[in-house]
Amino acid sequence: MSRDRTQREDYTTPLRRLLIGILCLCLAAMFLVWRIDNPRVERFRAQVVDRFVPNMDWAMAPVTGTIKLLRDFQSYQRLAEQNQELRSELRQMRAWKEAALQLEQENARLLDLNNVRLDPRLTFITGVVMADSGSPFRQSVLLNVGARDGIQDGWAAMDGIGLVGRISGTGRNTARVILLTDTAMAVPATIQPSGQTALVTGDNTAAPVLNFLENSDLVRPGDRVISSGDGSVFPAGLLIGQVAQDPSGRLRVRLSADYERLEFLRVLRHHGTEVISDSGGLVVPAPDATTPRARPENLDELAQGEDDNG
Amino acid sequence: MASGQRARVWLMRGTFSLLVLIIMFFQLLPLETQPRQWAPPDLIMGLAFVWALRRPDYVPAFLLATLLLLSDLLFQRPPGLMALLIILACEILKVRILSNRETTFMAEWIEVALAIAAVTALNRVVLNLTGVAQASLTLTMIQMIMTIGIYPILIAFSQTVLGVRKLTPVEADAIGNR
Repeated sequence: MSRDRTQREDYTTPLRRLLIGILCLCLAAMFLVWRIDNPRVERFRAQVVDRFVPNMDWAMAPVTGTIKLLRDFQSYQRLAEQNQELRSELRQMRAWKEAALQLEQENARLLDLNNVRLDPRLTFITGVVMADSGSPFRQSVLLNVGARDGIQDGWAAMDGIGLVGRISGTGRNTARVILLTDTAMAVPATIQPSGQTALVTGDNTAAPVLNFLENSDLVRPGDRVISSGDGSVFPAGLLIGQVAQDPSGRLRVRLSADYERLEFLRVLRHHGTEVISDSGGLVVPAPDATTPRARPENLDELAQGEDDNG
Repeated sequence: MASGQRARVWLMRGTFSLLVLIIMFFQLLPLETQPRQWAPPDLIMGLAFVWALRRPDYVPAFLLATLLLLSDLLFQRPPGLMALLIILACEILKVRILSNRETTFMAEWIEVALAIAAVTALNRVVLNLTGVAQASLTLTMIQMIMTIGIYPILIAFSQTVLGVRKLTPVEADAIGNR
């Protein structure tokens, strides 16, 4: 008898039911609002992450370090063997370095002859990877630079070599980078040397798929994949990786960036790609460019450019 | 006596929150930046079920909702959906299992396994209906099976290390009459 009473008191009082009902409604409402007004809720999410994750940073770095150390310990056993390999590789590298130096000099001379100026606006901010997405279904990392450092959504993130992902969601002190391997990622790319354009689409595996290739016969495994700058997503010419073929014959991209060790990422400041919309008009910014445009360096130059075109 | 009980309840609520935060912390560590072939169990869901079925007063729905919502936000999941499903599952499990105290371990495990499967399935169905892109089915299934598999371990851990046990009828009456 008493048992029944306590249960009724504990678990089934109408007030409790009502409260839980309200709670569930709130959660359902939150999901629906997220579905309907995604950017606002994602901004809220970025703020929560921004508030929460940096607090754990003091512990995260040492724990990550320790776990990595323990993992590396296994590889120490093969140290001698590795050393040998490295030595022989180093010898090869020396030869390559010599070649590279010569080529660099040649390149510098040629650039000088052509009076080429590399895009001076392509500068970068380096951030440290603080956390990953925490879920096996999403591929993203959190950087310790954010809106405070001028990071904007849509900018490209690279490690030293290749493209890693795209900034999506910035808090004050943190920014999330959606990696190329995430299912939500698609990057327009050009395949060299054939010049074919394709879309590099992540599918939650280590090697993203090459989609929308016009003529896959022209593409061979080993070709370089670089960003094409189409759709103003990224600046053109960033190295993504190399074409590879998986056992089922699908073309994939073996990424150049070292995804096993993402520690420092460079975020490229990107101020939109200039596109030519019609044959005879002015060179104008893309109509849907979201990033703010850089100011012209001086007004005379701008005016002169307009006169020439008009 | 009563104040001691209450202090203990709050202490255990704190412990639960701490445990969940620690799990989140370890999941967020940037160790696996490569896509994985397998998915780890959803420890937070497992713990929520274990605790709610032993001592529901240690995991009040509001605390659970807050923690789950936080994990939704941190883990890039659709906010609110998993939290909602897990809380509903918790409530249903409580009604079904706590109503008869003599539930054996196997019966509880089966009920919880069904609940976990239902949460996973409903999550996928709702995401499908609302047209949200979702992860591959294999990963989700792996995670579901791992969560079911780890449930007894979570029980053992909670019972031996943290002393989260079912109340004996005498204790229950003592607390109920408080």
